Amino acid sequence: MKITLTVNGKKYQRDASETKNLLHFLREDLGLTGTKEGCGAGECGACTVIMNGKTVNSCLILAVEADGTDIKTIEGEAKNGKLSKLQVAFKKNHAVQCGFCTPGMIMSTRALLEANPKPTVEQIKQAIEGNFCRCTGYQQIIEAVQDASGQLKKKEGLKRA
Amino acid sequence: MLQNFSYQAPETLKDLYALLKKSNGKATILAGGTDLLVNMHNNWISPESLIDIKKIPDLKGITFNPKTGLSIGATTVCIDLINNKDVKKHYPLLAEAAHNIGSPQLRNRATIAGNLCTASPCADMGCSLLALGASVELGSADGVRVIPLKDFFTGPKKTQIKKHEVLLRIIVPVEMAGAKFGMRKLKRIKGHDIAVASVAMARTAKVMRIGVGSAAPTPVVTADLAASTTLEKAVAAAEKVICPIDDVRAGAEYRRFMVKEFVGQIYPELF
Ligand code: FES
Ligand code: FES
Repeated sequence: MKITLTVNGKKYQRDASETKNLLHFLREDLGLTGTKEGCGAGECGACTVIMNGKTVNSCLILAVEADGTDIKTIEGEAKNGKLSKLQVAFKKNHAVQCGFCTPGMIMSTRALLEANPKPTVEQIKQAIEGNFCRCTGYQQIIEAVQDASGQLKKKEGLKRA
Repeated sequence: MLQNFSYQAPETLKDLYALLKKSNGKATILAGGTDLLVNMHNNWISPESLIDIKKIPDLKGITFNPKTGLSIGATTVCIDLINNKDVKKHYPLLAEAAHNIGSPQLRNRATIAGNLCTASPCADMGCSLLALGASVELGSADGVRVIPLKDFFTGPKKTQIKKHEVLLRIIVPVEMAGAKFGMRKLKRIKGHDIAVASVAMARTAKVMRIGVGSAAPTPVVTADLAASTTLEKAVAAAEKVICPIDDVRAGAEYRRFMVKEFVGQIYPELF
């Protein structure tokens, strides 16, 4: 089926297989491999993208259902080779270890910051409820989001790069 | 790549009814897809065709009418219910229940109607809608019928929907607008998890009802209790409608205990 969608501001028209999910469509048909597949079943959030302003699990949406939508993926974060403020904050606060959850984490927290530029810790936790991270233990991710929103207090004792 | 199936997205109810009739039970309705695509991904089911109902205007939206109550269209997603002014004002229990479902990504996509149609014993929206005395409107080429939600569930993953029918909307009676309410959901972890037991209670000047999830083959509800029902009688009424089982999440006894405990916790919030 012919579909037209906008991804990171760029319009694409493609013939999408009806049996392909949006995640595989982004990765295989559009070559946008930043979005990851963890479980393929709506549990882990590695496949999170922003669709018409809301975060969704792209593994649970058919590509044909995304016809006419506006999508943002991790590839839309950096501009002209420069990382976004949120990405820099993730890097600086050690919120990335293996990095597999990161594209999804960034999309969930990006959507949060767009709706709420100064989220509380509780709101940050709620925003990443659907994103698993098996490495960091989440604390660094929370701190990265606080940092990106200008709310991180300097830590005592711990010297940070 | 999922299994092989055909995909159709009708734009009118009439076309939808025609497709359902033609498919003769071989088609599956696709709305949010948060349950369906998981089941397909795991090869638990393999429908021949999917009918996407999200393009049908008649199935969209939430409306509140001071005479007839609240109508929740079949393709309404959790986040729409959570953010709806009328829901927040008149039926805050529903907003709270929807907020307790899944993760943000799932709430942005999962429909309220889908949560009922999957008819999981723990169907999160089930117990709160039951406590509010909701009904569902089902439609097909043969016409429309309305049935009380308490008769809708017939067993785990089973409902009254016939093969050529579709759930059109959920109706919450106006008599329950502004009801006092409370809910509790016991999960193994905070956040995204299936309930071990859940209880939702609503009370107006006339009636009190207790909806219970994960403690019987379907979400269940007590009979209409008098608004002045005592705590002891309320607990007994809840106990009467449940029949919990042992499974990987919890034992039957624990479930029974927690249902009674939750009724006790919520009861004072209703006065
Ligand atoms: S890959 Fe989509 S939620 Fe895990
Ligand atoms: S950094 Fe490895 S899973 Fe999050």
